[in-house]
Amino acid sequence: MLEIKDLVTEYGSVKALNGVTLSAHEGKITTVIGANGAGKSTLLRTISALEHPRSGSITWKQKSIVGLSPENIVRLGIAHVPEGHAVISELSVEENISMGALFRMRSNKSDVKKATQEMYELFPRLDERKKQLAGSLSGGERQMLAISRALVSRPSLLLLDEPSLGLAPLVVEQIIQTVNDLCRNTGLTVLLVEQNANTALSVADHGVLLSLGTVVADLPAAQMKADVALRAAYLGY
Amino acid sequence: MDIFLSAIFSGTSRGAIYALAALGLVLVWRGAGVVNFAQMGQAMFSTYIASTLIAHNYSYWIAFIVALISGGALGALVDLAVMRPLGRKRSSSFLDSPAMRSTVPVIASLGILGVLQAAAGIIWAAEERGFPTPVNSLGLVIGGKSMPFTAFDLFVMGIVFLTLAATTYFFKGTGMGLAMRASALNPEVARLSGIRIGFVRTLSWTISGVASSLAGLLVTPSANLSPNTLDLILIIGFTAAVVGGLDSLLGSVIGGFALGLLISFVNVYDAPEDIFLAILIVLLTVLIIRPQGILGSKGVRRV
Repeated sequence: MLEIKDLVTEYGSVKALNGVTLSAHEGKITTVIGANGAGKSTLLRTISALEHPRSGSITWKQKSIVGLSPENIVRLGIAHVPEGHAVISELSVEENISMGALFRMRSNKSDVKKATQEMYELFPRLDERKKQLAGSLSGGERQMLAISRALVSRPSLLLLDEPSLGLAPLVVEQIIQTVNDLCRNTGLTVLLVEQNANTALSVADHGVLLSLGTVVADLPAAQMKADVALRAAYLGY
Repeated sequence: MDIFLSAIFSGTSRGAIYALAALGLVLVWRGAGVVNFAQMGQAMFSTYIASTLIAHNYSYWIAFIVALISGGALGALVDLAVMRPLGRKRSSSFLDSPAMRSTVPVIASLGILGVLQAAAGIIWAAEERGFPTPVNSLGLVIGGKSMPFTAFDLFVMGIVFLTLAATTYFFKGTGMGLAMRASALNPEVARLSGIRIGFVRTLSWTISGVASSLAGLLVTPSANLSPNTLDLILIIGFTAAVVGGLDSLLGSVIGGFALGLLISFVNVYDAPEDIFLAILIVLLTVLIIRPQGILGSKGVRRV
């Protein structure tokens, strides 16, 4: 579905991605794990065109998407939840969600309403806090809001960047489980970037291990989870 | 008492105009991160267009509408022809540094101001000309009693309050308004949500152009029209925006009215020569005590 080949992205003279090849399988969760600075976030940012690749290809549904703008990539059904619970603190919960659907408002108003309602059913706590400013939410609620903001665009691929960052284990569990359910029930394809390898591998179908901008392993998640030597070498436990 | 009341009324009507000018500045600052020194130059240009139409016997209202439209168009043009190309690739790493990235557009806006003033001088000659009001600007007389305000004061206040109400509705009640707020607050998340921030930015320039040309049309009757007349309004509007908080629309409006009243009171109870001293004192006091302005958010760049 999403095929990435020999992707190179540079920040100045530093190669953050140095020839990455991987794919996100349709209807499955693919997780990209690796230490800090491995290039995980850069990978997602390059897919959604926030960064421009130096070389390599990104193919989505058999078409190259390199060179498109972020605004157009979300219209193709790729939604990105960037790192750090990216919501707009000065806007209300309601406004943050409807922001994600603005571009389809004219073409499909009734579905936008339906999708918005689904988000409140998915995360009832957001429904209770509709009118509150996003800045007043807890970290977990903000992450739920960031995910809702992305999902309300009805993507077929969700790029999720470190949803566990700074959250209590119980909240992480809940969020990861919700994403897992969405994938199994609606056929959503997920590319999940995580530093918390254990949690990610427990729900993922495939694991991709990134180190210093290159893929060092691409295995079924269960197999990667069991590979003690690999984990010791790259994740430090 | 009459003097006091008339100071209040003329201050409010003046303040309404400054509020518009400040609003125009804040719109572009929030929407595009540029302090637009060309703003009142654009307004001067569209006021000249109105003045020319009136001289050719078109009605005030047609001239008024055409001026607002050309003000908006000029705003869009500044963005499309100058700011957007500037925002693209820069030639050297020096020009590409963050400090220069935010400075270059401001310098460019000063350049645009110069070009507009020179062009107006060439097209319309530099001599001053008067500009009419649509309603009487002499003291209003109701039931044989003269009022402390003029019909034009009421007209100005009415039209500015209408504009402010429309702007508030636009920002709070429409999808495009939400898109504009989102792009100003967090361009990255806005883009990831599918908001076309380039379009939104041009729209900020356009709305700002309309607001400032409205300010120009309303302020010119009392000041005559020349290529430089509106420079003063830029200074006052800028002060109003800083006092109110450069990133707050409501703050800029409050700042505008506050300055209007201040100027009016200094004018009546002190002397017109002291107006700029008073403005300077207010500006310095705000910058020292509350650098982010009355309603500005903390952490915003200090002026």
